[in-house]
Formats: sequence, C-alpha cells, structure tokens
Amino acid sequence: MLDKGKISTRQLTIIVALFMVGSSILIIPSYLATYASQDAWISALLSIATGLAVLPLYIALGNKYPGKTLAQFMEDILGMWLGKAVSLFFLAAFPFTMAAFSLRNIGDFMTTQIMPDTPIQAIHIIFLIVVIIGVRLGLEPIMRAAEIIFPWFILLFVCFVIFISPQIKWENILPVLEGGMKPVIGAGVPFTAFPFMETAVFLMIFPHVNRPDRVGRALFWGIVIGGAVLFIITMMSVLVMGPDTTARLIYPSYALAKKISIGNFLERIEGLMAIIWFFTIYFKLTLLYYISVIGFAQSLSLKEYRFLTIPLGIILIVYSILISPNTSFWFEMYTTWALHAITLGLVLPALLLAVAAIRGKGAAKAAATSASEEQTQPDT
Amino acid sequence: MWSSLAMIAVAAAILKLEAPYLKKRQLTKELRVFYFLLLSGTILSIAMLMNVELPNPMRLVHAVYKPLSDWYTSVLK
Repeated sequence: MLDKGKISTRQLTIIVALFMVGSSILIIPSYLATYASQDAWISALLSIATGLAVLPLYIALGNKYPGKTLAQFMEDILGMWLGKAVSLFFLAAFPFTMAAFSLRNIGDFMTTQIMPDTPIQAIHIIFLIVVIIGVRLGLEPIMRAAEIIFPWFILLFVCFVIFISPQIKWENILPVLEGGMKPVIGAGVPFTAFPFMETAVFLMIFPHVNRPDRVGRALFWGIVIGGAVLFIITMMSVLVMGPDTTARLIYPSYALAKKISIGNFLERIEGLMAIIWFFTIYFKLTLLYYISVIGFAQSLSLKEYRFLTIPLGIILIVYSILISPNTSFWFEMYTTWALHAITLGLVLPALLLAVAAIRGKGAAKAAATSASEEQTQPDT
Repeated sequence: MWSSLAMIAVAAAILKLEAPYLKKRQLTKELRVFYFLLLSGTILSIAMLMNVELPNPMRLVHAVYKPLSDWYTSVLK
C-alpha cells in the first residue's frame, strides 16, 4: 500500500460527519426550500434515511475485498485494463470533480460574501496549498487533525443554533405537507445524491481502518451526525427566515448567522460562524483530493504518490475555475449533478457487486493470485 | 504575457523541487507521469490566463442527464 497509515473507527466517524457537512451546509437549505418550501425538513429526513439505506451496499463491496481499495478491486472484478480505465474514469469524474466543486464553493462564497475584490484564483490557490500540505503528510495526520477540530466544530455549531433559536417562528413551517408528498420527494432526490451518495468514495480508505468489522457502524454514525447537522441547519433556516427567503438566498446559513443578535452585544458574528464551513470544506476537500491522488497512483501502479500532489493541484485549480462559468451555473447543474452522483455512487458499486457475484470464484482466484504477487514483490 | 512567464517560472520551481527525488530513486515511470501532468497543468493554466475558451466537462454531464432530470422534476412537482 502507498500510504501505510491506520485510522481508528472513531476517526472514520468524525471524517464522515465532516465530509457530509462539507460544502452542503452552505447550499443545501436553499435547494430544499426551493423545491419543498416549508416541508424542507421532511425532505431532509427522507434523504438521511435513503443515505443510510444504501450503506449495506458499500459495506458488502468493501468486505468482499478486504485490504483493497476501490481502485484495486476494480481491477480484480473487471480485469486489468478495463478495471484501470473504469477506476481512472471514476476518480476523474467523481472525487476529482467533487474536489473542484468544493474548492469552487469556498471560492464563490469568499468572493461573493466576504472578499469581493479578491480574484477567485487567489483564494483557490491559498486554500489548495493548505490542502496539499495535508495530503503530503498522509492519511493519519489528516485524521488526527480532524479529531482535534471536531469538538470545536460541534461547539461552534451548537452556539450557532442556541444563539439563533430566540428568533424561531414556528408558524414558518405551517402548513405541513401543503403540496402533498411529491415535491418533498422531488427535493429529496438531489439531496440524497449530494452529499449522501458521495460516501462511495470512502471505499478508497476502508483498508486503512484498523477494525474492518466495525466500518459499517462508523459510517452509520458519521452519516447520522452529518445528516443531523444538515437537518438542523435546514430546519433553522426555514424556521427563522421562512421558506421564501431561504429559497431566494444563495447561502442561507451565512444569512442566518448574520441575523444572530443577543442583547445588543453579540452582533454580526457571521465571520466567526463561517469558520464552521471553512473547517468542514477543508476536510472534505482534503479527503477528496487525497483519494483522487492516491487512486490515480494505484490505478497507474506508481510506487509513490506525493509527487503527484502539486501538478494535479495546478490542474485542479484550472478545473475549479472552468467547472462553472459563473456562480449560478452550479445551481442550474444541481439536479443533473445529482443523477451523475447517483450513477457513480450507487449504480456503479451495485454493478461491480453484481459482476463480482457472477464471476464468483474466478474473480476470487484472480484476487488471490494478485495478492500473492504483491507479497513476492517486497517494494510495493 | 507576464502572467504566462510567471506560470512557467512556477512550473520550473516545482520541477526543481520534485524531480531530483524521483531521479535519485530511479523511478522512471513516475518521472514520466510527473512530467506529463506538470506539462498539461502548465499548458492549461497558461490557456486559462490567456482567456482561451476551454471545454467544460460539466456541460457534457449536464447534456447527458438533462432529459432524465427534466422528467423526474416534472413528475415530482
């Protein structure tokens, strides 16, 4: 293995939670409110349930090939050349593209809300330099940093919710289910894909977990914590600002933080609250970039991965600028991106599992021989 | 013009930083991948700096899934 780092199940739970919250915390409330208006919270609950329902698929796939990452067992399942081609396509189209989107989310956020005169490239470059430092250090340091940051994230989030709660107007979520179940499900589909289907990328770090039997549990709690944070932020946006205002804003969570006002003393603390998503986007981006880089190295069977970080980083910066011509393109892309994420995050793993089951023994034998080959080569 | 030259200087600095280690360990395949990625990254960024219209892969994704997304948004409205 390229990176021999081991992570504990607790660290996996924390990183999954931070990954789930990621950039979704900024944009999800607006979407759910656009499609489901005051019933956004029901959509959020439905999506969390669906997100948890697909977990057994990933666990089954991960357990079938213990000690191997997605990029490695794709070669066992699909054969060497097809496997390499599919895994390179998967990495470029899913984690790498998501990384570009996450980078763009923070760039768009900074240039539209906080630093309007700074070129977006400058923000991307500075943010990515920190990410590259993390990726070069390896998986273990990233996870330990996540473990240290997590309590602060929770503290800030809890403060956020407590400070805004005096302004809750319960009539904002009434009437419940005014338009029936259909818009609620319609709003839930993209939210299920982004971020819940994106958990598929964790198949790339399963072998690093020190207790493989407890991976399912760790993922489950990670998704529950992350989902709960997203649910609460959606609920709060709708409860405080009402569904119409929430739907009209690009970053409802930030607008919500601006509204915090406690006794003429705690005012305009949105800059402080923005730290919440700086942390979560940082960890999401670092993990996605780490997965892209290490997956790329595994697909091409390279012996080292750190030298890839800077050249791929240059490409990532160009990609993140290119990926959406303006701030609103991402909003137009949202439903189609959701289907793309479902294809790669749900249909592809399901297909892989089906092919593996059909090939059965043949694939298992191939896995055994490739494993023994790896043992005979001491350097790899 | 100046920005392109600056980009080339940055690429040269990265080359100076990373290549000696790979050369020392005689990782020829890795070195080739590194050169290829660095070259494409530099070309892409120079193209971006000179405002060349680069194709956006997301447009393709958008075009492929558009009919399906239109269908489900119309059904679930």
